[in-house]
Amino acid sequence: MRLSRISLATVALVSALTLTACAATTASSTGAAVDGGTIVYAHQQEPACVFGGWIEQAYLSYQVLDNLVSLDANHKVVPWLATSWKSSTDGLTWTFTLKKGVKFTDGTPVDAAAVAYNFDYWLKGGNSTAAVWLGGYYQSAKAVSATTLQVNLSKPYPRLVDNLTQGYFGIQSEHALTTRTKDQNCASPIGSGAFIVKKWNRGQDIVLTRNNKYTSWPANALHTGPAHVKVIDWKFVADPTTRVAALQAGQVNAIYDVPAVQWKTLKTSGFQLDRYVTPGRPQQISFNTQLGPFTDEKLRQAFAYSLNRKQIVDTIGQGIIPSEGNGGVSQATPGYSKKAADWYSYNPSKANALLDAAGWTGRTSAGVRTKDGKPLTVILPYGAGSIINADGAAILQGVKEQASKVGFDVTLIPVPQSELFAGKYGTPQDHDISVGYWTAVTAGILYINWRPSTASNPNYSNSAYYNNPELEGYILGGNSAPTVAAQNADYEKAQNYIAQHALAIGVYDRLSTLAVSPKLKDVWQEHAQGGPTFYDAYFTK
Amino acid sequence: MTLTSPSSGIATGPAPEPAPEAGGAQAAVRRPSRLRAVAFTIGRKLIAAIVVLWGAATVAFFAQLALPGDRATVILNIRDGQAQLRTPAELAPIRAEYGLSHPVIVQYWDYLRGLLVGDFGVSYQQFRPVTAIIGEQLGATVILSLTAIFFAWILMTVWVTLTAGRGPRVRGIGALVDVVAAGLPAYWLGIILLLVFALGLRWFPVIGGTGVDGLILPALTLAIPLAGFMAQSTRTEFERALDQPFVISARMRGMGDWDVRIRHVLRHATIPAVTLSGWALGATLSGAVVVESIFSRPGIGSVLVAAVNSQDLPVVVGIVTLVAVFYVTVNLLVDIAYTLIDPRLKAS
Repeated sequence: MRLSRISLATVALVSALTLTACAATTASSTGAAVDGGTIVYAHQQEPACVFGGWIEQAYLSYQVLDNLVSLDANHKVVPWLATSWKSSTDGLTWTFTLKKGVKFTDGTPVDAAAVAYNFDYWLKGGNSTAAVWLGGYYQSAKAVSATTLQVNLSKPYPRLVDNLTQGYFGIQSEHALTTRTKDQNCASPIGSGAFIVKKWNRGQDIVLTRNNKYTSWPANALHTGPAHVKVIDWKFVADPTTRVAALQAGQVNAIYDVPAVQWKTLKTSGFQLDRYVTPGRPQQISFNTQLGPFTDEKLRQAFAYSLNRKQIVDTIGQGIIPSEGNGGVSQATPGYSKKAADWYSYNPSKANALLDAAGWTGRTSAGVRTKDGKPLTVILPYGAGSIINADGAAILQGVKEQASKVGFDVTLIPVPQSELFAGKYGTPQDHDISVGYWTAVTAGILYINWRPSTASNPNYSNSAYYNNPELEGYILGGNSAPTVAAQNADYEKAQNYIAQHALAIGVYDRLSTLAVSPKLKDVWQEHAQGGPTFYDAYFTK
Repeated sequence: MTLTSPSSGIATGPAPEPAPEAGGAQAAVRRPSRLRAVAFTIGRKLIAAIVVLWGAATVAFFAQLALPGDRATVILNIRDGQAQLRTPAELAPIRAEYGLSHPVIVQYWDYLRGLLVGDFGVSYQQFRPVTAIIGEQLGATVILSLTAIFFAWILMTVWVTLTAGRGPRVRGIGALVDVVAAGLPAYWLGIILLLVFALGLRWFPVIGGTGVDGLILPALTLAIPLAGFMAQSTRTEFERALDQPFVISARMRGMGDWDVRIRHVLRHATIPAVTLSGWALGATLSGAVVVESIFSRPGIGSVLVAAVNSQDLPVVVGIVTLVAVFYVTVNLLVDIAYTLIDPRLKAS
């Protein structure tokens, strides 16, 4: 009795302290801009290197490196290091004109030769995500003059420049890449960006200092000249509760990846909250079409009809995480097919009818359907904590529950990063469903995810193991069609094909979220991948 | 005065001061044999240490190899943020760079040879020598561990001295608190301390960093369960010591209760806790994995988690070997300290 009273008192004390803390945090600003200062920013994951093929690296390298081009809020490609660009009439030759007089922070010039070197560097292992985007199209790059770069393609790719806005395509000093050690280029790449890596305290933070000689801001920046703040203290704080608490306590000025459950509390307390719906492949379910029960299209469709995906996502995501019906691309992607997204609505009767028609008519005592005595058990492994966060894991639990109502027995397997990234569950033999996302700025991501896999040119990103020339034809058509309208028409056909055959179904859209202290203004999410942009940011008194 | 041997199990308390002449002569006779005993202990321990280190390094190496999947694939996938299979052409440069296509026994032999000359290899992900990575993170973890052990000693000493050997109610509460504290999981305790003292009362920063104010809560998170654990064994010893003849003798000389507890009984009772402190250093190094993550502190714990996740074998094995070195060294020091504190062992 006494113990329970003590426990209650403790709970009450903790709750009161938390509420007091929440209420006390919203210091209002007077609005007058302050020059200089240090932005303390808490990010959730620490990459091994600043530059690389992971989105976590792209967020960081975006502060240090400039790209050729930038993407604005209306998905228009605008100048950055390149002032203009054009492609030849056959679409095979791209010519970029570079800004004059721009220098890397090691003093060497940002000229066409250096940029051409970067293209080859990405392809030769410098950035294999960049290489995947250019693969199959890129042929060579050369400097025509100091400020004129020519990029030669083997097939037309009109949306090439859209892809070059991603952080994977940040331009580094050729001199630094060729004369410094791998370790140095990993920890402090040399670019021409608004900030310079000063020090990396591994496990704690990276300190970036202002590039006082910055001259190459993108056309969609809010100001010109060097950054307003002097230093960014980019901290790594893995735990979301700690990040939110640190923001509320005023220990940091901005945080990444705000948990859905904390969204309203922070908003009410006056923090700026930004949400970026990531274009590209959404968090989706793709079915193993080579082995197991989902080789039967009826079962794939039945699974799709068994789920009320919107209800699951809205419940877990508290209205912050958008539900997604489209298994090809997310709603933020140009050329998105609403038709594909709406293909399967919640309809358990249809799901049951399809399962009956497919011969899965028996039932175990637990209600799992059977066929020839074999239960309808399907394996769904997911990258816990790496590909799927805590909200995502809860959503998958909802998927399992709903699918069980029509007789699917979904076995969820949380896979640790060390196993998942080692290629476990990477073959058709060991799973029936795979989940995951892939950020992109165009529907060209479809080519990466659906290009047929052949013995001579395997495609391990094709997680449905579906090799079909008709689907490939639509996507290739979209990639090379001369006008945006024609590209989108082809991409939509591809998405509709994926939906019609239930090769993949969408679940929710991956978000990139930020919460920013009221005293820090003009922090925005860049439009290619949703990372924070601190170049324009300034403090107010 | 007859000194009893440790095996007799009967302690008579510290020996009274001998006459100066006799004492000098005794010390002259005794010192060489004590030195020999300590040297013998150190020699024996060093040989055992080498065997333990070889075992730890070997187990760590093969445990990493036993992880499912292919190491070259994970190295490339972590660099690219993708989880998928890779083509032999993509993996070839990585296999060549790290010698992953060599037979396992050759890799193991190369690895052991490296260890002998202090070369732990180069991290697959950071491209830096493992010794540099550990060197840069070790300080923060060792400071955390030592501070935690220091706090644990203070908490344990005060609590046991206050509550052991009292009336049944106080003794009961004392023992109950020991058990509860020892059972507190670090991930829960850390979050509660963070919530109350950092977020609520704002006494400490939420994100610890390496400053002194950022050290208190993480150290307490490790210290409280450790104090509970040490208090359990110290309490038993403390209460047994209170019944010993030397305590009665001290009381009869007119010594007050606090004097008896602090000057005689405590010294006697803390021997098990000294032994536990050796274990505690290893335990707090392991506990640092959780605590460094909760309080966003740098240290080898968080490096180890990242390295295991990315199958960065050289870093994992380097840290495991390092922790083994710590265990072995500290246990050796504890053994020596044990002989110095316990008057019975001195005599032997």
